[in-house]
Amino acid sequence: MKKLTVVGVLAILVLVLSQCQKAATFPDTGYDARLSGGVATVFDITSHAFSNMFPGLSDRDQIVHAFGDAAFSKIFVTAPAPVNSGLGTIFNNNSCISCHHNDGIGLPTAGDSRSSLLVRISLPGTDAHGGPVAVPGYGLQLQDKAVYGKVPEAKININYTNTTYSFADGETYELRAPTYTLTNLYTAITGNYLLSPRLAPPMFGLGLLEAVPESEIVAMADPNDADGDGIKGKPNYVWDVATQSRQLGRFGWKANTASILTQVAAAYNQDIGITSRIFPVESSFGQTQDDGLKDDPELPDSTLNAVRFYAATLAVPARRSVTDPDAQRGEALFKAAKCAVCHRQTLTTAVNVSFPSISNQVIHPYTDMLVHDMGTGLADNRPDFLAGGQEWRTASLWGLGLFEKVNSPGYYLHDGRARSVTEAIMWHGGEAESAKVYFSKLSKSDRTLVLKFLGSL
Amino acid sequence: MKNTLLALSSVALLALASCSSKSTPTPVTTDAEGTVITEFVNVVANPDYAAINDNAVKLQAAVTLLISTPNAANLLAAQNAWKATREPWESCEGFLFGPVEDNDYDPTMDSWPLNKTDVDARLASSDVFTTSYIDGLDGTAKGFHGIEYIIFGEGGAKKATDVTAREKLYLAASTTSLVATTQALRDSWDASKGNYSATVTTAGKGSAVYKTRKDVFKAMVGAMSDICGEVGTSKMEDPYAARDSTLDESSFSHNSTVDFTNNIKGILNVYTCTYGGKTGSASLSTLVAAKNASLDAKIKTQYNAVLASFATITHTFEKAIYDQRAQVKATQDAIATLQSTLDVDLNAFVEANIKD
Repeated sequence: MKKLTVVGVLAILVLVLSQCQKAATFPDTGYDARLSGGVATVFDITSHAFSNMFPGLSDRDQIVHAFGDAAFSKIFVTAPAPVNSGLGTIFNNNSCISCHHNDGIGLPTAGDSRSSLLVRISLPGTDAHGGPVAVPGYGLQLQDKAVYGKVPEAKININYTNTTYSFADGETYELRAPTYTLTNLYTAITGNYLLSPRLAPPMFGLGLLEAVPESEIVAMADPNDADGDGIKGKPNYVWDVATQSRQLGRFGWKANTASILTQVAAAYNQDIGITSRIFPVESSFGQTQDDGLKDDPELPDSTLNAVRFYAATLAVPARRSVTDPDAQRGEALFKAAKCAVCHRQTLTTAVNVSFPSISNQVIHPYTDMLVHDMGTGLADNRPDFLAGGQEWRTASLWGLGLFEKVNSPGYYLHDGRARSVTEAIMWHGGEAESAKVYFSKLSKSDRTLVLKFLGSL
Repeated sequence: MKNTLLALSSVALLALASCSSKSTPTPVTTDAEGTVITEFVNVVANPDYAAINDNAVKLQAAVTLLISTPNAANLLAAQNAWKATREPWESCEGFLFGPVEDNDYDPTMDSWPLNKTDVDARLASSDVFTTSYIDGLDGTAKGFHGIEYIIFGEGGAKKATDVTAREKLYLAASTTSLVATTQALRDSWDASKGNYSATVTTAGKGSAVYKTRKDVFKAMVGAMSDICGEVGTSKMEDPYAARDSTLDESSFSHNSTVDFTNNIKGILNVYTCTYGGKTGSASLSTLVAAKNASLDAKIKTQYNAVLASFATITHTFEKAIYDQRAQVKATQDAIATLQSTLDVDLNAFVEANIKD
């Protein structure tokens, strides 16, 4: 019954699309600008717009996705327990979904059940693989919650300093600059430590970004600014635990993670305290919080693989207002400001005959997946493999216009300091300084056009 | 979360819409759609949220009495008050959008499973159970299921005399915490407080969240569909497939089937704009009936089939997953049928008929 309906809908779709080849809908490129994720695009403008599986998955893949979806929502509790056992003993939150609300961006607070911000920690220098140096007794991430009877590693305090600035036309805006401090350290740290706050990012489209050929990303790099436009960009190369090899970093705010699999396994291990095949050792191992239970790995491989598949097959919401003249003028300004040099509109995924949904797709993520110097204002001053203390991976912008609806009121940037897209733009510096200045000198009506374009993504 | 059909049909509809936009006149906007939204807010959403809070206050009174006078009658009264609070809560999950998800009221009150290891350890400790102590806990140690654990006990076997002094303190503070959350949820929509109601009713007329009225209709239909999926493919499927009653949502109170039924009732409440015996002057159903009477009948028929199927599960859900498996499976199938109609047909109706 259901299959017949699918076939029917597909038939209608083909019929309609074939009668509908108008220039207004399909630009000269032959690609519909609304299809941000190629065939992996969905038309959904509700608060669950980031939670759709790829259209057209096989029956088997739909089951695996649904299994991963269910696991993504599962709330872990203290071991031993009959259901979802193994939380912590130290952790940041108790399920995937409690940080990635609606598969979207999180809330920039730390230490309570709604919090979606975590803080990485390290000592200066690099480890044997060129990565950050773990802090004895803490590792590379602070777990600021603990199960009953155990002590969190630290309390993370976030303080904002508000400052009012003006655009060239005199209109004012406010930026809140955060400072992060630690109190209640469970054990002393000797020497200086470096902190980097990271907000839970949106989950959709990751399978497509993973499928962009490394060569395509590297070709966009300009580490020595050979073209003299002030914009560099370089790939981050990182140690990938899953493959035990050096790989191109694609995910995370500093592109410090090579694959969705490693990202998922690391998040289970570090954020929730759930061990797996890839990270079989508890984050509390060797610390006073360790529960000593011989229950590792806690996560079945089938679950890990299903959640990886889930994260790889969340569809990209379609653009709206692509034929709106205001949005088009905003897009022209976005390009004139050179925003699009880093926020690359179009990438093409590699051919993958075993997985048509991500194979050879023209996608519009608005990122080059490279790290760029973003200036001192955004700097965490904590290097992460090749990404320096001022460098961040170009954030993808697809779905940006839906953040307010999916994760009301919506926060932006790596630590959620920006409360609006305008604030996020005005935080740009470093290689993006001139683009920001361009925006700040626009008239109010032109700034509104840029925002209208960004809101259409 | 959603299925392929929804996505496919949206693509098809969008294609249709963009294709025909130049050849057919835009449908005339009527105020009927605005009335449907206003009536949903006034007749369903606000009263349902108010009922949760009202019943939580009654639960608190019953718990207080149980604590001061622990006897069988007072325990039963507290258990019934818990179930009565559960009812409007489960039905409001038929429209799970807005502050209930934005502010995490849902996981705060209704996280599952209970972190029994932690709760038992806390009960065995000498911690002082103030309300702020409970407020600071994760949802898995408090809320509906924390209270359920204390007043029903494992297997629902609790006796009034079993409630320990420490459990009484935990119960009192947990109930106060629950009341506060239900009040915050109610206030978030209240026109004189958080007024999310206005965010909904001003859809297409300045609402920050709903740029068009269609956005609200899509949210309503999406939520109706989502709760079908939640009940049919998760809450029922997990214990059914694993043949494991520890995976049941409300296993202490044996209230799972009632919970599921109230979830599904929330769908009809939204669709027909009905709550607590009152019906709005206009609803999604009246809109559909005016233009596609057979779709309206189909939705109602399929809804009734789900309720009728639930009625065939006569054992507790904890038992039914072992000895009434056919009935459980048939109910899941009926829910899937309803969900498919909502995803495909009702979404198509909204796409085609709600234009502003």
